[in-house]
Amino acid sequence: MSITEKILCSKSHEFLLDNGDNTFTIGLTDYAVEQLGDIVFLELPEVDTKYKKGETFATIESVKAASEIYMPISGKIIEINEEAVDSPEILNEDSYEKGWLVKIEATGDAANEQNDLLEYEDYKEELE
Amino acid sequence: MTKETFLHEKHVNLGAKMVDFAGWHMPVQYTSIIEEHKTVREKVGLFDVSHMGEVFVSGKDAMEFLNKIVPQDISKLNYEKAVYCQLPNKNGGLIDDLIIYKLGILEYLVICNASRIDEDLNWMVRNSKSFDVKIDNRSHEFSLLAIQGPFADKLMRKMGLNTQQDSFTIKPAKIAGVKVLASRTGYTGEDGYEILVENKHSEYLWDKILEDGQEFGIKPIGLGARDTLRLEAALHLYGNDLDENTTPIEAGLSWSIPKDKVADYNGKEVIMDQIKNGTAKKLVGLKMLDKSIARHEYEVYKDGEKIGIITSGGPSPILGANIALAYVKNDKEICTGSIVQVMIREKLHDAEIVKRPFVEKRNKIKL
Repeated sequence: MSITEKILCSKSHEFLLDNGDNTFTIGLTDYAVEQLGDIVFLELPEVDTKYKKGETFATIESVKAASEIYMPISGKIIEINEEAVDSPEILNEDSYEKGWLVKIEATGDAANEQNDLLEYEDYKEELE
Repeated sequence: MTKETFLHEKHVNLGAKMVDFAGWHMPVQYTSIIEEHKTVREKVGLFDVSHMGEVFVSGKDAMEFLNKIVPQDISKLNYEKAVYCQLPNKNGGLIDDLIIYKLGILEYLVICNASRIDEDLNWMVRNSKSFDVKIDNRSHEFSLLAIQGPFADKLMRKMGLNTQQDSFTIKPAKIAGVKVLASRTGYTGEDGYEILVENKHSEYLWDKILEDGQEFGIKPIGLGARDTLRLEAALHLYGNDLDENTTPIEAGLSWSIPKDKVADYNGKEVIMDQIKNGTAKKLVGLKMLDKSIARHEYEVYKDGEKIGIITSGGPSPILGANIALAYVKNDKEICTGSIVQVMIREKLHDAEIVKRPFVEKRNKIKL
């Protein structure tokens, strides 16, 4: 199964991957990264910080502008992708397996909070 | 209604990402801003800048009229020469920045920013009352192609340019058999040309330049790289670094203003006073000391006190650092080498005031 078959996407272009055990990986979709162009800076939160669904948890900058990244569900940061902070250009190559942003432990009603997220195919369709 | 240049379809077919800029649907990038940026610094790039305005000024008083509206001395501008100018209001604040070319004894070409063409024309017409002059906006008739980079001259010669042309000159020429006006100017900090061509020939010329430029590694370049290139060269962008509340002296453009111009011009009193007595704010270049990026309108601090504001900022692909232009308090303690702080998302980040331009022109040509 390819990664895009396993993820859910938000309308603000984050993806959410369920890793089981109430933990998830969050990052940006390939569409978001392509729209941003060359990514030159990434600011990620500290481990253990808690965010509610919809809150800004990270900032990404392309050559032209800074954009905020939002939590697709509520959670506590348990791991950040240090490699992506050091070399943000890896997001341009692959924003899923290499360029993911953070791993979280869900702190809210994760199942319910995923209701407004879309499967990748539907997300792509919405974009057209 | 968003406007399209005559090369719009070319950009779309090349897979460009299109954005709205100053009322025009323009290519921001074809592949990658950083890659396109390096192409212009190392090889040669082709830009469609047809959104810019071309205003022809002619008539018995053409020189006197232009001399009234810019601080530069148009009476000293020679045939086929160009001069970088500003268009100040009565208080010295800038309505636009321009390049003026002398095309004939009584004929001049004014190139203005796309975003300011209406304001420029209004201002020109308002100031033309007592002059025998014709102000003719012919922007819709011409396409403007910029060929910029160390191989720009070689490419233009290969395509038929046969006269030696110095920087800041304009000459009628034939490129690939097409009649054009060739100007050795640009907005990248590299050597290069800006080619004014009738719209009906623009598509042919665009394709031919890309074809003939292949051996030099030419690529089409979008507005994204145009912005990073001009920032490295510390060239001002109207709307970011220049506006109606900023004088050319504050903007660090004193070098472009003659101190001995006899004729009166709009804003002369303020401008001459500022040359003599100084200004409250000044433009400086900043280099960020960490990986953060200063952007337009971020605040600048020193010792906890707010001293200024960023007007342009972004990555410098050549320096591998992030750079910015800022207006700061004109204080002799705030100078090259000073460490200041930029407020970015509620945190202060150190930056050093550095000399402008950030990247020197490597391919200097005779002026």
